[in-house]
Amino acid sequence: MDKAPREALARRVLSLCATGESEVIVLDGDDGLTRFTQNAIHQNIAHRETSVRVRTLVDGRTGVAATNLLDEASLSSLVARAASMAELAPSDPLAGLLAGGASIAPPGAYVAATAQASPEMRAGLAAQIFGIAQRDGLWAAGYVKSSRSGITVANSRGLLASFDGTDSGLNVKQNGPDSTGFAEYYSNDIGKLDAKRAAETAAGKTQGSRAPEAVEPGEWTVVLEPAAFGELLSYITEHFSAQSYDEGSSFLCDGLGKTFAGENVTIVDDYAHPLAPSMPFDYEGTPKQRVPLLEHGVARGVVTDSYWAAKLDIPDTGHALPAPNSWGPQPVNVTVAPGCKSTAELIAETKRGILVSRFWYIRPVDLRQTIVTGMTRDGTFLIENGKIAHGVRNMRFNQSILTALNNVEFSSELARSGNYSYSIVLPAAKIQGFRFTSLTDF
Amino acid sequence: MEAELRFESPAMRALDTARARGAGYADIRFEDGRAERIEVRNGSVLTLSDESSIGYGIRAFYDGAWGFASSDDASDAGLDATAALAVAIAKAGAAVAARRFAEAPVEVYVDSYATPVQIDPAGVPLGERVALLLDVERALHATPRISVGRAWVDLWRTDKEFYSTTGSKIGQLLYQSGSGLSALAVGERDAQERTFPGDVGLYQSGGWEIVSSAQLRENAARIGEQASQLLEAPQCPSGQMDIILGGSQVSLQIHESCGHAAELDRIMGWEANFSGTSFLDPSLLGKLRYGSESVTILIDNTMPGGLATVGYDDEGSKSVRSDIIRDGMLVGFEMSRDTARTIGRETNACVRAQSWRNVPMIRMCNLNLLPGETPFEALFDDVANGVYMESNRSWSIDDHRLNFQFGCQVGWEIRNGKRGRMLKNPTYAGVTPQFWNSCDAVADRRSWVAWGTPNCGKGEPMQTGRTAQAAAPARFRNVKVGVGYDG
Repeated sequence: MDKAPREALARRVLSLCATGESEVIVLDGDDGLTRFTQNAIHQNIAHRETSVRVRTLVDGRTGVAATNLLDEASLSSLVARAASMAELAPSDPLAGLLAGGASIAPPGAYVAATAQASPEMRAGLAAQIFGIAQRDGLWAAGYVKSSRSGITVANSRGLLASFDGTDSGLNVKQNGPDSTGFAEYYSNDIGKLDAKRAAETAAGKTQGSRAPEAVEPGEWTVVLEPAAFGELLSYITEHFSAQSYDEGSSFLCDGLGKTFAGENVTIVDDYAHPLAPSMPFDYEGTPKQRVPLLEHGVARGVVTDSYWAAKLDIPDTGHALPAPNSWGPQPVNVTVAPGCKSTAELIAETKRGILVSRFWYIRPVDLRQTIVTGMTRDGTFLIENGKIAHGVRNMRFNQSILTALNNVEFSSELARSGNYSYSIVLPAAKIQGFRFTSLTDF
Repeated sequence: MEAELRFESPAMRALDTARARGAGYADIRFEDGRAERIEVRNGSVLTLSDESSIGYGIRAFYDGAWGFASSDDASDAGLDATAALAVAIAKAGAAVAARRFAEAPVEVYVDSYATPVQIDPAGVPLGERVALLLDVERALHATPRISVGRAWVDLWRTDKEFYSTTGSKIGQLLYQSGSGLSALAVGERDAQERTFPGDVGLYQSGGWEIVSSAQLRENAARIGEQASQLLEAPQCPSGQMDIILGGSQVSLQIHESCGHAAELDRIMGWEANFSGTSFLDPSLLGKLRYGSESVTILIDNTMPGGLATVGYDDEGSKSVRSDIIRDGMLVGFEMSRDTARTIGRETNACVRAQSWRNVPMIRMCNLNLLPGETPFEALFDDVANGVYMESNRSWSIDDHRLNFQFGCQVGWEIRNGKRGRMLKNPTYAGVTPQFWNSCDAVADRRSWVAWGTPNCGKGEPMQTGRTAQAAAPARFRNVKVGVGYDG
């Protein structure tokens, strides 16, 4: 559904809302994902859907209802359900709707070729990966995905905001007898996905880490490639929510303006970054602000939505998630400023360390101390005298993220990394004193 | 309550289209789902939502490859286009396949199933539901150190119909309900959370009676007080010692270190790039001593109250009981039709999709540790030095499901058979088979609960599955405790 019919649908639903004030969100999307393993496609899917959410406020009382049934009777029922729930909810003086403001989609957010990508096109990229795996006697597992999404937010105060975007990605894990290797690409433009290069990179890691050797857990210098560093960093982003800041679960409770990381650490939430251009407004229709989170190691800000901006009496940065939710406003476009040296230089300057391609199953151990645990996977190497020596068996770590950010050096290259729960633009990171606590037998 | 077939006509149209486009087999699954959630946070009703969604997913089989397409467009044109797309996707996969994964199913069922419900949630007024949660959340603030109190209810109703080109026609009306509460206490550079029941609440199949049985009112103040007490509690010690895990933590241990490990799609590499593989393989069936003789773990998708209890799975196979670990020996896997055939077995109906939008995949469903003979309190009797831990707060395991580290919300010291002072930040770590072999006692049926897991992540795009692992508290000997805080 294009912008015009989405906006017409939003207006139609708004016209049905007779009680209090209302906000309508129309979401429309097509997703295709081609998933493969053992050099063949085993899950190959397509999904399309249009849905409508209504949030109704009556004297500070809020009700939300959603449906994907778009006939008149279903939409009337939707509006009535939201209104009847609002009648029963307790009043909250901070709940309200906004008039919004102008926002402009960043360049490159929508690419027609991605929107039109076919199952055959995705299968063709997968076939390139199979070819390299078969050449090297490996088997590949991974996916190629493409999506188109449209959103319109409208409310009874006259706000109307629409955005159309695309996204695509591929990841590949090459599997050998006793080793694996990983690579990934993400872009709004499916034409920029380099399947061959990803397959070659992953195959090279697999070949290079054959017969992995054990090393002693303990404190190590590590070089984390973007996929690994991004997974680690994704467990600190929620600390920059106004909600966790106010409620006491964020390390930022110790004070905005305080230094928490090294002078070289600058982290910004930026929806318009050229490697990941995305929605210029949030789910309340508020234009997104570029928000410095850590600037040269100093905590500069938290992200807000209308509720938390009002509660803390600070500006609304435009970071609302779809209402209702338990998480409050969140930074969803995190970017990390690069350093000056290439990844190759960071490795070359390492006398003895570990190169990590990817982490797995990171979970918080201690919220306020930002301690997390997780495992290495899919390409872990010993660095000796500036060179990659050989593969090593995977290890578990327990590490404070803030401690790591006080002992870090970044590469000069930026990449986009992520999975279904986050997307981060970031460099590789070299960290001193990274705590590995146990070893696996693979 | 009975399932009535409403979508037969559009289903037949879609299946005819799939056949005409060349599919050797096709099935279609219609779902009309409704999800109601209420969440109270610090005295405000944060969430009062009512979401409904109707759509269908079509699987098409062509030349050894599957295609899947889903849509909410149930017009004739929409059905035709979606069926054609599913076949086109299967053909695209078949064209580049170096191997074939599938065979066309042949089983046929014409049947219906409905979840037994004692109290229809629709009969409980919304005002009454909200009032319960407001009361409960208020009680959580037992001390001023509670920064965040939360209480919630989830009510899910799914009207599901399955049709296949082989003639299956299955209607199911499923009810699942859950509720819980949480208190976050904040102190000087410390934050401690307690949830109840277990770590996510109590989720089971059934109606409002599941919410009533959670006893939120009776436990809210105690949980709030415990969260505050944790701020002052000493740190859990580090070292090798015996541990007793509460039932919900044993449930999580089953989920992570048995349930996912025994998924046959994972063993075959179907999840290799994301969720990972498994240390298990078919050659270990009947040979691997997975755990001690106290450990018997089986699938029972017929179990009353199990969150994953249904009549049929999402590829139209009838629910069964099926052993995975019997008296400590590995004897089975969680399987689909395709994967079971590769090892010469029949499916045990473990295939589920999150909704009509999603492709069905293997899930652990209801995977239960059978209760033992020991009364819960007697588990403590011959523990000289150990820790009793309750309610998960951190869980991590490697991508082969071997090396794990879990943390709990609260612990209590055990000295000479007695439960002593409260401990904060308890963690433990191990390697899956060694850990289950260290289990020397499982508590008896009186403390056995069908713990539901409403948020199991697997697959790409990620699907959230609803599974259950019924469990009682259990005792494990000589375990590594205190990891994460010992450096």
